[in-house]
Amino acid sequence: MDSATPAAAGGFEPRITAFVCNWCTYTGADLAGTSRLQMASNVRIIRLPCTGRIDPMFMIKAFERGADGVIVSGCHPADCHYNAGNYHARRRFAIFRELIQFLGIDTGRITFSWVSASEGAKWRDIVNDTVTRVRGLGPFTAYRKLVVDPATVPAAKVTSKEVPA
Amino acid sequence: MTELRELARRLLSEGTVNAVLGWEEGPRGARPAFVTTPDGADRLIFDPRCVHDLASYLSPRRPHLKKLGKVAVVLKPCDARAVAGLIRETQIPRENVVLVGVRCGGVLADPESTAPLSETTVADRCRGCPDREAKLADHVVGTAGAGFPGPSRRAQKIEELAAMPVDRRWDFWQAELSKCVRCHACRQVCPLCFCERCMADKSLPRWIESSPHARGNIAWHITRAMHLAGRCVDCGECERVCPEGIPLGLITRKIAQVVSDRYDFRPSDDPAVPAPVGTYRMDDPQEFIL
Amino acid sequence: MARIGVFVCHCGENIGRTVDCAKVAELCGQVPGVVHSVDYKYMCSDPGQQMVKAAIAEKGLTGVVVAACSPHMHEKTFRRATAGGGLNPFLCEMANVREHCSWIHEDRDAATVKAVDITKTIVEKVKRNVPLSTIRIPVTRRALVIGGGIAGIQAALDIADGGREVILVEKDPSIGGHMSQLSETFPTLDCSQCILTPRMVEVYQHPRIKLYSYSEVESVEGYIGNFKVKIRRKARSIDEDKCNGCGACTKTCPNKKIPSEFDCGLGKRTAIYVPFPQAVPNLPTIDRAKCLLFMNRAKGRPDTCKKCAEACSKEAIDFDQVDRFVTEDVGAIVVATGYQLYTIGKDQAKPNIKGYGEYGYGTIPDVIDGLQFERLASASGPTSGKIQRPSDGKEPKRIVFLQCIGSRDPQKGMDYCSKICCMYVAKHTMLYHHKVHDGQATVFYMDIRAAGKGYDEFSRRAIEEEGARYIRGRVSKMWRDGDVIKIQGFDTLAGEPIEMDADMVVLATAMRPQPGIDSLAQKLSVSYDQHGFINEAHPKLRPVETNTAGVYVAGACQAPRDIPDAVAMASATASKVLGLFANEMLEREPTVARVDESSCAGCFHCERVCAYGAVEHKEIKDRAGNVLRVIAYVNPGVCQGCGTCQATCPSKSVELAGFTDEQIWSEIQALGV
Repeated sequence: MDSATPAAAGGFEPRITAFVCNWCTYTGADLAGTSRLQMASNVRIIRLPCTGRIDPMFMIKAFERGADGVIVSGCHPADCHYNAGNYHARRRFAIFRELIQFLGIDTGRITFSWVSASEGAKWRDIVNDTVTRVRGLGPFTAYRKLVVDPATVPAAKVTSKEVPA
Repeated sequence: MTELRELARRLLSEGTVNAVLGWEEGPRGARPAFVTTPDGADRLIFDPRCVHDLASYLSPRRPHLKKLGKVAVVLKPCDARAVAGLIRETQIPRENVVLVGVRCGGVLADPESTAPLSETTVADRCRGCPDREAKLADHVVGTAGAGFPGPSRRAQKIEELAAMPVDRRWDFWQAELSKCVRCHACRQVCPLCFCERCMADKSLPRWIESSPHARGNIAWHITRAMHLAGRCVDCGECERVCPEGIPLGLITRKIAQVVSDRYDFRPSDDPAVPAPVGTYRMDDPQEFIL
Repeated sequence: MARIGVFVCHCGENIGRTVDCAKVAELCGQVPGVVHSVDYKYMCSDPGQQMVKAAIAEKGLTGVVVAACSPHMHEKTFRRATAGGGLNPFLCEMANVREHCSWIHEDRDAATVKAVDITKTIVEKVKRNVPLSTIRIPVTRRALVIGGGIAGIQAALDIADGGREVILVEKDPSIGGHMSQLSETFPTLDCSQCILTPRMVEVYQHPRIKLYSYSEVESVEGYIGNFKVKIRRKARSIDEDKCNGCGACTKTCPNKKIPSEFDCGLGKRTAIYVPFPQAVPNLPTIDRAKCLLFMNRAKGRPDTCKKCAEACSKEAIDFDQVDRFVTEDVGAIVVATGYQLYTIGKDQAKPNIKGYGEYGYGTIPDVIDGLQFERLASASGPTSGKIQRPSDGKEPKRIVFLQCIGSRDPQKGMDYCSKICCMYVAKHTMLYHHKVHDGQATVFYMDIRAAGKGYDEFSRRAIEEEGARYIRGRVSKMWRDGDVIKIQGFDTLAGEPIEMDADMVVLATAMRPQPGIDSLAQKLSVSYDQHGFINEAHPKLRPVETNTAGVYVAGACQAPRDIPDAVAMASATASKVLGLFANEMLEREPTVARVDESSCAGCFHCERVCAYGAVEHKEIKDRAGNVLRVIAYVNPGVCQGCGTCQATCPSKSVELAGFTDEQIWSEIQALGV
């Protein structure tokens, strides 16, 4: 369990922010704890009532604040404590994911998952897999540099006048 | 054009409406016009330079129009989709406006242009547009050309970007978005950006940093795109008014493709058709969710 | 300026073993706004709670953060302690450093760093917490019970005996449900009708129960404490006020060959009928699909037969009656719509469910289901309690029972156990043995599931004392050969194929929810599983509540249930309902959404995503009464606090209390580098 050992030999350890719903994934993560399932310690959970409450701005803000990766997780379809919050969230996330992919953000930095209250082991796997994957992608300096280092922003090569007529 | 002027004159003289909103000849090409007297109807024009989406003026954010009472608006098919959006989202009551559709075979990219409409001068968004007239309209006037075939250059550019490695796409967009001065012209001109107070102006908390730097800019443009998902009618105004020439149409077009591919949705000028965001199907695709 | 107190719990060794709690307290004490930060061995103990209370008073705390276990464990404890210390309870939050930290990491340094992060995040959140007060909404103290089977009857009686009015809605002409069809009940073998009918009469005579039989719920609006229910009273074609229940009409009806639903098709009834002699209410109903007059009317022909009307001395027959609607205001709803049996015929309600081709799709006349056997064995049944087979009326000397028909069979779409079949098959073998002394009952079973008081003893009695032959295994094929049924199966204990002849076969088919349960569930906004059974709010801790507040569930519409289970659930719902009705006002968690009226643009995206219909349109008017704007208003009585509206609102003009944008923003901010 490579991913369970933090900061091995001073290597890069990704910072992951997780946005999870209170009823399924948060409880599933509780179960992982109760079952003493060991996992990587890189993830910080922010508890929301429902995936329906998760605004894409949360993920943007997390990247702005230096997160290298994000996990978004909630109840499986048909299992939402609030009937349909996860269905609305699913459309929102699908569009958001394709949008940021188009804008050049590697979607490997975001894990979307359904983890039920009984899936403690699945939560552990989601955590470990995300940490491993984001560790492979390296620190998300591109986003962090957006303000601090304007020099890294490449000069404009094309303008819209050239692109679409 | 005679047909349009006569209809406007009749609507005004019969008192059906207090104003007709259309286009007129300005010092620098076509421009929006408010006509409030029957004689003023002769000022109205419609030609390929009439690119502005006049639906923007119907937004309740613009109270001066509301003061005029019942108005008529001249609409291209794409503008009618925006009006449908305003009706769908309870911004204007349908009975408070008279909609005058003009048949349209495409417009130019620039209202100041003097070039004739052709394969090379047509606005990119008009390529492949299937609509020649607004189904929502109360009256439809004029004649239309055959339109221009797709695919648009934007669609090609989107494919080109999609084929790039992700970090090169990032570089492309950072080059573009870093130019943004956050003048919010894209927001002000958008017929469907009608919030009383924009989220970008909210300071508690400040989700979108307001100063024009790359980090706030990407947050703003992501937000704008998310808010327009399934709502954007592709009127092209945001890109036209951008003083920095940022290809905003690529983003709105991309989002339109996503909702079309995933949810089989195309913006419609039927207000009864629900938008794809705010509805769901239990079996919506979820291949990206573990 | 915030004055936050941080209380770090060791939870004995549970947290302290992998997290340096003193260090967490020390580092959190340095966070701006934190004026008090301590660690203690058991924060949830009485001395631990006293520390919280004392610090609130001594340090003038404006917020409390308890770094301990999951909020699902002790949030209530510490919010109460906070209130005890004189602070609004919603100014207290838990930082989960046990389940989400100490229990899942071994590296003490990393776990301590993480615990500090978790606690700091919650500190930042609590700085933005505001005092909330519980929402008080009025309660209409009347209940609606949907379904007049034993569960509905029990719930209605318990609520009514508790002093509250009950509306009982039953879709059939009589209450009683499936229990009224049973002959005797396991494990006591007492007569089903003898114990049920007194309850039915009690319902009818109860001053606080209003019974709508032959009625269905048309629509439901509102929310806990304040439901408005529209009920369709189907046209019985009888004036209920005039009819005295003499039965003259049913005797004269010429159409006497209609298969009786009550007798599961084994007996016959007339077109105007009372389903069974003890029916409550004792009123006839005209089955318009079978009545000659209505059949003629449907074809546009003149009325011919009016024999029932002619026979009625009270002029109670009303051929022109139409469906009527009544609206009732209630504060709570109990769903007790019960079950149906899976039919093994070819035609099924759902395309994913299939019958059994190997059993002839139910075409062999002497292959019947469990309820049909109940009617054969019942003294009030079509054979007056004689066991006679449907095809020729002969007494079957060899009877075979097959268990788990459809149940525990994922290929048939029902992977669940129907729970009652093992027991009623044991009962059937006994009833058969009591009536056919020289007969042989054989049972094919997968397992015998006899968990329950007196249940195992009962099934053993069937085998050991009443001569039933139990074969573990399944029947693979069944066909008719002359007047015997040939059976081919496999005895899995002996490990050999088995063939036998039978005179009659009884299939213990699976229990399924009633048809139409999905549309009812949608009217009530309650969720249901893939089989259509209503979901309970929590499988262990909230077994009779649904995910919609104020809607409760009892009996076999939630899962396969036997009578004692159904009755226990019904009484449990009654106690929940009476608890809800104990006060005139209802207190609800204040974590609901609220609209910022100044910035709402009235686009109503929130209304589109609200699963509860909590968003209403509110008109903002000037002094002259002209409508200036129409904006959203969230009804706090209906809102369940999911926050989907807030994430959807483009201008962020709706805020969910307890999870506001500012709170979440600060949490994300706190995690920054």
